Amino acid sequence: MAHFSIPLPARRTVSIDLSRFNGIVRLLANRRVQLALMILVPILLLTTFRSVLPIAGPLETNLRAMTKAPSLEHLFGTDRMGRDIFSRTLAGIQISMFVGFAVALLSLIVGLVVGTLAGFFGGAIDRVMMTITDIFLAFPSLLLAIGLVSVMGTGMLPVVLAISLSDVPRFIRLQRSMALSLRSRAYIDAARTVKASHLWLMTRHIVPNTIASLLVAASIAAANAILVEAGLSFLGLGIMPPAPSLGNLIRDGQSYLEQAWWISTLPGAVILLIAISLHFLSDGIRQVLDPRSRK
Amino acid sequence: MNLHVPIREPLLDVRDLHTHFVTDTGTVKAVNGVSLQIEAGERVAIVGESGSGKSAMAMSLLRLLAHPGKVVAGEINLEGHDLNRMSERQLNDIRGAKIGTIFQDPMSSLDPVMRIADQMVPPIMRHLRLRRDAARAEAISWLDRVGIPDPSRRIDAYPFEMSGGMRQRVMIAMALSCRPRLVIADEPTTALDVTIQAQIVELLKELTAETGAAMIFITHDLGLVARFAHKVGVMYAGRLAEFGPVGDIFARPQHPYTQSLLDTIPPVDQQERRRLAQIPGFPPDMKRPVTGCAFKDRCPGAHRHCFEEAPELAARGNDHVAACWLPEGLGADRTVERPLVEPLAPTGIPGDDRVAVEINNLHKHFTGRSALPWRKPPTVRAVNGISMRIRRGETLGIVGESGCGKSTVARLLLGLDPATSGDIFIDGIAQMVFQDPASSFNPKMTLSSIIQEPLIVTGWGTRLEREDRVRELLGQVGLDESYMHRYPSQLSGGQRQRVAIARALALKPSVVVADEPTSALDVSVRAQIINLLMDLKQQLRVSFVFISHDLLTVSYVADMIAVMYLGEVVEYGSADEVFHTPAHPYTQALIAAMPIPDPAAEAARVQTPLSGELPSPLSLPPGCSFASRCPKATDYCRSHKMVLKPYSATRETACHYAN
Repeated sequence: MAHFSIPLPARRTVSIDLSRFNGIVRLLANRRVQLALMILVPILLLTTFRSVLPIAGPLETNLRAMTKAPSLEHLFGTDRMGRDIFSRTLAGIQISMFVGFAVALLSLIVGLVVGTLAGFFGGAIDRVMMTITDIFLAFPSLLLAIGLVSVMGTGMLPVVLAISLSDVPRFIRLQRSMALSLRSRAYIDAARTVKASHLWLMTRHIVPNTIASLLVAASIAAANAILVEAGLSFLGLGIMPPAPSLGNLIRDGQSYLEQAWWISTLPGAVILLIAISLHFLSDGIRQVLDPRSRK
Repeated sequence: MNLHVPIREPLLDVRDLHTHFVTDTGTVKAVNGVSLQIEAGERVAIVGESGSGKSAMAMSLLRLLAHPGKVVAGEINLEGHDLNRMSERQLNDIRGAKIGTIFQDPMSSLDPVMRIADQMVPPIMRHLRLRRDAARAEAISWLDRVGIPDPSRRIDAYPFEMSGGMRQRVMIAMALSCRPRLVIADEPTTALDVTIQAQIVELLKELTAETGAAMIFITHDLGLVARFAHKVGVMYAGRLAEFGPVGDIFARPQHPYTQSLLDTIPPVDQQERRRLAQIPGFPPDMKRPVTGCAFKDRCPGAHRHCFEEAPELAARGNDHVAACWLPEGLGADRTVERPLVEPLAPTGIPGDDRVAVEINNLHKHFTGRSALPWRKPPTVRAVNGISMRIRRGETLGIVGESGCGKSTVARLLLGLDPATSGDIFIDGIAQMVFQDPASSFNPKMTLSSIIQEPLIVTGWGTRLEREDRVRELLGQVGLDESYMHRYPSQLSGGQRQRVAIARALALKPSVVVADEPTSALDVSVRAQIINLLMDLKQQLRVSFVFISHDLLTVSYVADMIAVMYLGEVVEYGSADEVFHTPAHPYTQALIAAMPIPDPAAEAARVQTPLSGELPSPLSLPPGCSFASRCPKATDYCRSHKMVLKPYSATRETACHYAN
């Protein structure tokens, strides 16, 4: 290979390209993202530092304070065993957030890998992968989850897997369609003429141009996962009591709705708040990414 | 204002038209004070670069601007009525009835879910006050006049059942069916092939002459202007820079912008192989107020006065006005700016006979799926037996209409698709410059990493060496190194094409395949890219394969030309010979269809456009594939396949009757 002998310039200027951070700046400037963060950040801070807060532990019972209405001492009130609902809600959020994050991450990774391979290679690989995906898509997600939990038993891992299983096909479909349309772009052809490897084409040209859309889908999936986890726990198929998942909290209070409305209602309101703000977040990301929705 | 009393009331009288697009980042003054008069029966061409406001001006006449466009001031008098003061309801009676419109893209301007009849008949019923059956009969007669075969049956067809050329004919029939006084055509032939374009242009000429309608014809193709227009308006930065009779504009252009535009066109006469003129700089930002003349920053003749005060249109002869402070624009001196190109021997590098590319009996067939399993699957022979040689340093031009297989040849040369049979030998590597500068680059990569990519993939050099190579390449294509850290979205179309060339040259290829590298660019930028390619060819001694449907450009750039028709080369020889004395009837037809940017020459040409369209590539005729459209075809042609045979020392042609 030829060598180019060009004298090095005396001084190299190192320039940091600020436009690289443009995306994050624009994201933080978006109203919906700001609103979402205004709700999510305090909630996350509270749950992270709940052990240092002056509240009872989530599993601590207090027989002298059973089914107490919300007060300064017990912000969300107590349940029939005298456990502090606020503390239990914070613990529940931690579990919910973990489930949401795990599901989003798992779906994202599997969707990215499988979808890219199917869309990029096409042909037989695509057909096999898509047939399997379609089979999973054909089942209602809750049914799939119930089936899986009944085989694997209850607990955190089965819940995460069950929810992911119903989300993953959507991610694969999304990523596949994007990879398929990018595959024939001229810049991929240009890289092919220099015999770039498939791995190079996929990691350098396809994934960087699809990852943003997948992140939008992932934040919606996280919100959805939190709701489904609450639903599964409510049905007794999710996290086992006495672990304080948000679904468990609602179920606990279900039979006391008339006497102690706060046991179910307040954790339910928190779920609503988190789900809404995650949707705001994904909407904001989409707005920033989609030039057409920009004014 | 100078109020002269016209002898005859003009059909359309536009006075001081202003159109603004209000956006968050500022107000775009797309049309900034345009006044013009059009007489009945006149064909007026409006030319200008993209963003000059020519389409916005035309759409303003109908008040059919896309949001947020708005006509903010001015009068649009059509036969004495001011359209700008009319209500939306009154306007609806004008649109279609008095003014017909033909849009650029026949694929998207007809509703795909409505039959032709459903799109044509209601406007006729409304504007001509006819009953349904009478309106339908009228529509059928129009389809017949625009040359749709079997119109009484085709009127019930859906748009997708027709070819692009046929759809454009339908658009023309629709535009003319209500007998408008004025027809506005926005790039009506840009999406069509040259032979179809020639047919459509003749049709428009004929029909407007017949109905006496005036026409506003927006285009960027100066050849078409010369062929078609009576008068020409040149727009720049939202204003008319020059307006006058077509002969005058081409022979004695008065505005420096018009003069430069005309000089960007490759000369028809190959003996005078001059460098193309290029207009430096960019059009002004239309959101900012301009002091002085809008063209001053790009004008070699600009002086102090040009920076202080904007020139108004002033008389420069009979009916001829120009907005320039210089009495003759750049005058005759402008030719000094263009040094002649050192003519390259048509055989490439003198004394170097080595072959860079050799193609032997190349085939590429695409096989579909058959409707029934026992049927033979349909096969398209996109490339059907091609043999060619390209010497080192030689430029081969491949011309032909869409579907002739020229882009497939490019993909085969680059190894992007496997050939069905035949072989390709390349001494070195082949690289590519693509047509669409927008999709040529990964939007997430900086120019530095884009140009480095071929180097990284082939493991060339260290990071610092690669970055130095990027600087060198950017220099070769005329960009400075500050561009290294920019993203493709921050570049103009011409700059992107420069980067594409830099990337193609990174590995020092022996052949660069350029597939329509200039067709997405404005004329002024096109000239820059062509000049750059010519310079690089001489500096680097690299072979080029230049693929285009634009014969004039190919004949200027190429040493050898191959004319393709339906997957076969029908004529192959030195560019001069093929262009000036075409032997094959198809080449002759292509050259006849090609508009020449010279009104006098155009007027002298006899127009007999090639009839018909490409036969379906799925069922090719058994004999010569051109026989169905060839004026010379005999029964022998229809039954016997033609192959390339020597015609002269430097030319081969595949026609039985070429001699």
